[in-house]
Amino acid sequence: MLRFLVRRLLGAVVTLLIISAVTYMLFYAVPRDPSRIACGKVCTPETLDVIRHNMGISDPLPVQYWHWLEAIFVGRDYPGFGHCDAPCLGYSFINREPVLATVWDRFPTTASLAIGSAVVFLIFGIGTGMLAAVKQGKPLDKIASSASLVASSMQIYFVGPVALYLLVYQSHLLDQPSYTPFSENPGAWFTGLLVPWLVLALIWTANYTRMTRSQLVETLTEDYVRTARAKGMSRRNVFFRFAWRGAMGPIVTIFGIDMGVLLGGAMITEKTFSLQGIGLLAVKSVINNDLPMLLGVMIITASFVVIANIVVDACYAMIDPRIRLA
Amino acid sequence: MSFSRRNFLIATGVAAASSTVLSACSSGNSSSTGTGKQEAAKAHTTTVKIGTAADSQGPAPEVSGARKGGKVYLLNDDDFSHLDPQRVYYAWNSLAVIVLARTLTGYKVGDDGSMTLVGDLATDTGTMKDGGKTWSFTLKDGVKWEDGSDVTVDDVRHGFERAFANFITEGAVYAQTWLTGTQEYRKSYPGPFKGNKHLKSITTSGKTITFHLSEARPDFNYVVAMHSYAPNPVKHDTKQNYDKKPFSNGPYKVKSHQTDKSMVLVRNEHWDPKTDPIRNAYPDEFDFTFGIEAETAADRLIADSGNDQYAVSWRTVPQAKVQQATAKAKDRLFEDLSSGTSVYWINQTRVTDIKVREAIIKAWPTAGIRSIQGGTHRGDYATGIMSPLVAGYKSQDVWGKLKNPAGDPAAAKAVLKKAGKLGTKVVYAYQQDPINAKVKVVVENALKAAGFDVVTKGIDSTTWYDQIGKVDNEYDIYWGGWSADWPTGYSVFQPLFDSHNVVDQGTNYCHLKNPDVDAAIKAATAETDQDKANAMWAALDKQVTELGAFIPDVYMKRLYLHGSKLGNVKMDPNFDGCMLYKMYVKA
Amino acid sequence: MTSTDSQPFLSVKDLKVHFSTEDGVVKAVDGLSFDLVRGKTLGIVGESGSGKSVTNLAILGLHNPDSTAIDGSIELDGEELNGAPEKRLEHLRGNKMAMIFQDALASLSPYHTIGTQIGEVYRKHTGASKAESRARAIEMLKRVGIPQPDRRVDSYPHEFSGGMRQRAMIAMALVCDPELLIADEPTTALDVTVQAQIMDLLKDLQREFGTAIIFITHDLGVIADIADDVLVMYGGRCVERGPKAEVLRTPQHPYTFGLLGSMPSLDGPVDVPLNPIPGSPPSLLNPPTGCRFHPRCAFAEKVPDGRCAKERPLLEIVDGRGSACHLTDEQRREYLTDTAAKAH
Repeated sequence: MLRFLVRRLLGAVVTLLIISAVTYMLFYAVPRDPSRIACGKVCTPETLDVIRHNMGISDPLPVQYWHWLEAIFVGRDYPGFGHCDAPCLGYSFINREPVLATVWDRFPTTASLAIGSAVVFLIFGIGTGMLAAVKQGKPLDKIASSASLVASSMQIYFVGPVALYLLVYQSHLLDQPSYTPFSENPGAWFTGLLVPWLVLALIWTANYTRMTRSQLVETLTEDYVRTARAKGMSRRNVFFRFAWRGAMGPIVTIFGIDMGVLLGGAMITEKTFSLQGIGLLAVKSVINNDLPMLLGVMIITASFVVIANIVVDACYAMIDPRIRLA
Repeated sequence: MSFSRRNFLIATGVAAASSTVLSACSSGNSSSTGTGKQEAAKAHTTTVKIGTAADSQGPAPEVSGARKGGKVYLLNDDDFSHLDPQRVYYAWNSLAVIVLARTLTGYKVGDDGSMTLVGDLATDTGTMKDGGKTWSFTLKDGVKWEDGSDVTVDDVRHGFERAFANFITEGAVYAQTWLTGTQEYRKSYPGPFKGNKHLKSITTSGKTITFHLSEARPDFNYVVAMHSYAPNPVKHDTKQNYDKKPFSNGPYKVKSHQTDKSMVLVRNEHWDPKTDPIRNAYPDEFDFTFGIEAETAADRLIADSGNDQYAVSWRTVPQAKVQQATAKAKDRLFEDLSSGTSVYWINQTRVTDIKVREAIIKAWPTAGIRSIQGGTHRGDYATGIMSPLVAGYKSQDVWGKLKNPAGDPAAAKAVLKKAGKLGTKVVYAYQQDPINAKVKVVVENALKAAGFDVVTKGIDSTTWYDQIGKVDNEYDIYWGGWSADWPTGYSVFQPLFDSHNVVDQGTNYCHLKNPDVDAAIKAATAETDQDKANAMWAALDKQVTELGAFIPDVYMKRLYLHGSKLGNVKMDPNFDGCMLYKMYVKA
Repeated sequence: MTSTDSQPFLSVKDLKVHFSTEDGVVKAVDGLSFDLVRGKTLGIVGESGSGKSVTNLAILGLHNPDSTAIDGSIELDGEELNGAPEKRLEHLRGNKMAMIFQDALASLSPYHTIGTQIGEVYRKHTGASKAESRARAIEMLKRVGIPQPDRRVDSYPHEFSGGMRQRAMIAMALVCDPELLIADEPTTALDVTVQAQIMDLLKDLQREFGTAIIFITHDLGVIADIADDVLVMYGGRCVERGPKAEVLRTPQHPYTFGLLGSMPSLDGPVDVPLNPIPGSPPSLLNPPTGCRFHPRCAFAEKVPDGRCAKERPLLEIVDGRGSACHLTDEQRREYLTDTAAKAH
């Protein structure tokens, strides 16, 4: 286990280094000058120099990147801003907000969105998938399968506004999507996120229904499932302890990766429902040429994906004793 | 004043993401707002005049039917990039800052949209001496900061001086240049934070502040209306952090501000309406929510339920929502000219033959482009570069664009043939977004029909200005927008056509280097009689248009929605959004 | 125990197992009858697809009822199993009747320890505590000859060797002292030594508990070793039945005869080529008319009037011995000899 962790964490660090370096290079690969953002209409070379100095981008690219990396571990002094403590991801080019604080500030929104919808899509997706697998070939299965096919081909940017129109604007059944911190008002947190949860879950549920069904249909015909029945285990026991156990591995794997992605921000969902999460932050930083923010978002979301992968592998090893962590 | 380039720079980005702003409206239903053809432009030809001391006295004229109180909700996508007045240049920021930061002078906006320059903090619009090299302003009594202390001449001076500081790079630089006589103004004065020295060119005496400029600036009283030159409280200057929580001397103050999420403005009890000729300030509170996409905002405003009845957005109604909005919320739509003029620059360094330029302009499919970009909602056909919202504007249709907005490739071809230039290669650069991709096709077809060999080059919207701003760029024709920093001709022609501005990332996008134009700019700038000056600027508008520096496109318009419980929601002619200080909450 | 010695412990009568598939009805078992008494071993022989395994899954009631039609009677100790409630079958499975599957690696759950898999059967049927069932699992592992059973009880199947897995499988089947044990090719994948050990183990257990065993195999050598009676299946039907010695020495059906011919002899000359039955097993969707073996039968033309292709030969059992073939006794004696040497 320790070996596994050390090995994977080292791998993760290398991955993140590569991602950040590539982002850095790609950012400058297109001819743009971020210092222009903070320069007035009549922009003199002198002012541009001042801005580059303020932003910490007056050095050659590799040196800049090195400073950026260094700041994560030892912090950095910004002219006019004082010291930025490690781990320091710098300040936004646009509004000079500290990157790390901004990302963490957005994170609860994204996490609430991800976790809430995950609860919904796991319950409905796996539940429906199980029913469909048990009732394989029967009307219920056919309905569930075709419904999930339809749902999975739907897109947030279509379903989202339709749901908003029907559930919020027209019928006033549900609240206008918004984010209130859970600690502040759990009720408002819940009602504000309900529509996004449902819409996001609708599309994801379909994937999990199909995955659960196909996995279970496969494991239900496994020899060890038959053995369990031959031993006199009840159908329920056989289903959950044997068939489902076998089906879980791939589902957990996909879920882990999905969660990593969702925690990195569901851009379209956040945009559709005007939720200020990581995804929207990423989009804005790209549009605004905001390199520090973009890098910060990239690193943190990439970390989620990388960590999710490690967790998934560890979970898989727990589910399936045949897998060894090394 | 509004800042076109930044507006457009943002506009390009937003367009890339959600194709909203640039392509404001659909070409369809325009019956509610568009008055068709050019009447609109004529109707909007605003009189910009300079007011008297009497005009400068508060309070602002009552809006009929208005009442005090209530809360207004703002549904916006972007937060304000800056609230520190010295760092404000974007019109977007000014829309909010105007109720927080008063300036020496300001614009009193009439019910008809007319603008009168009046003293805001100052008793009048200033006193000019030495042909415009010396300007004095005297502060009114009773103008106060949010802590109840007086706004002093020291505060006014501090505002000008901190504009030299290293962390202030975003604001206007006119005054800095004129107060030091050099573009590299930081070298001659490092700002007030190093050694606590003051600028020698600003003197104070009692309640009067005097500016000694290095060159004659007869329209300096317009310049000091810019938020970049608002006063800053010497005792409460938190430098870099001032941006997050500015100290108000306007009718409202910042109660809370969560970057990119929300901002609440509440009444500043120390603001005395009797000193303010500009702002009515009816509502008690403004609640801003950021991160609401223009589409969502439009949906909510159309639905008009709950608090959204008290809401308004500073983002235009997206093209896709115009029809629905017109059908369901006709009485809550408002449309007006924005300060921006849209043109297509012709690169003078590359397209040197006037006959070739003439052919391009004649062939140009202005009507076709406009219909792609939203029809009448996009704007009124332009005749020159000077907006109808700039003092002295005259409609002078040099190229017959009003008579034939569709363009005339056949006539263009004849011009080209006569000049022996058939088959000339022209490179058209465009922003890579869905709307501009359609525009490209129309342009390409028109130019081909006129006998040009057309090359088109797509450019990523986020780097648009970096690309076309290079003097040695390899494009012949590229789009550009401009709005004046203040509504006199100087703010249009000096940046755009003065030959000194043909530098990398300079503002002379068409690279016009014409001694006659330079001389005309100089003459009009020095003219102390503003009426004469305005006529000179209008003549210059005709001159640069005739030179084929650009292809006139449209005087841009903006279309907005508001909730049913808001009254007197009107466009600010300077900042391209509705005025917070004129609207009221209905009973 | 309600049965008496005169009554068979397991009695299968006219069993039909038909699967409905998209292509049509597969008649996997089509009219099979046999009896089995306590303490005895019935060997069921046949090629893949002859219906051996299907029969035994039907006895345990493990077929999917949605797609399977089971007809006929399966009486265990006087109790009708066909159509019995699922709850009742659950009670019997693993308890009164147990099954050993052929591929232990696939048939044991990879997700649970050997101990858990053995113990849970015991817990289920005896209500024993976790500790008791673990102790029982260790005891069973010891009995099937697993070294260090108290340690190996916590191992996972993939940590066992093939032979050990098969023993664990047997331990699992025997944990509740079943009265009927169905062993479905339990030794196929094992090497000869291990195979012999496992056979001995089964024999010992049978001696100790008087278990009735159904032993499914396609290997007549194994049958010779363990079975008391032999039932030869072909195309879902029984073609020959009888005491082991008789069937192996004097087969009455050409198919049995063919099987014996295709079997390598342990003590015969190694260089004698094997002689597999030509042709392939019959389709169960569209089985041949008459005798299902006739397309492959070397002696079909010996029967006059093409009866083999028209008329289904009846299985007549006299004193537990009989076959379903149109050949006359004389013909059988003439054609189906020279096998005695091979059986032993």
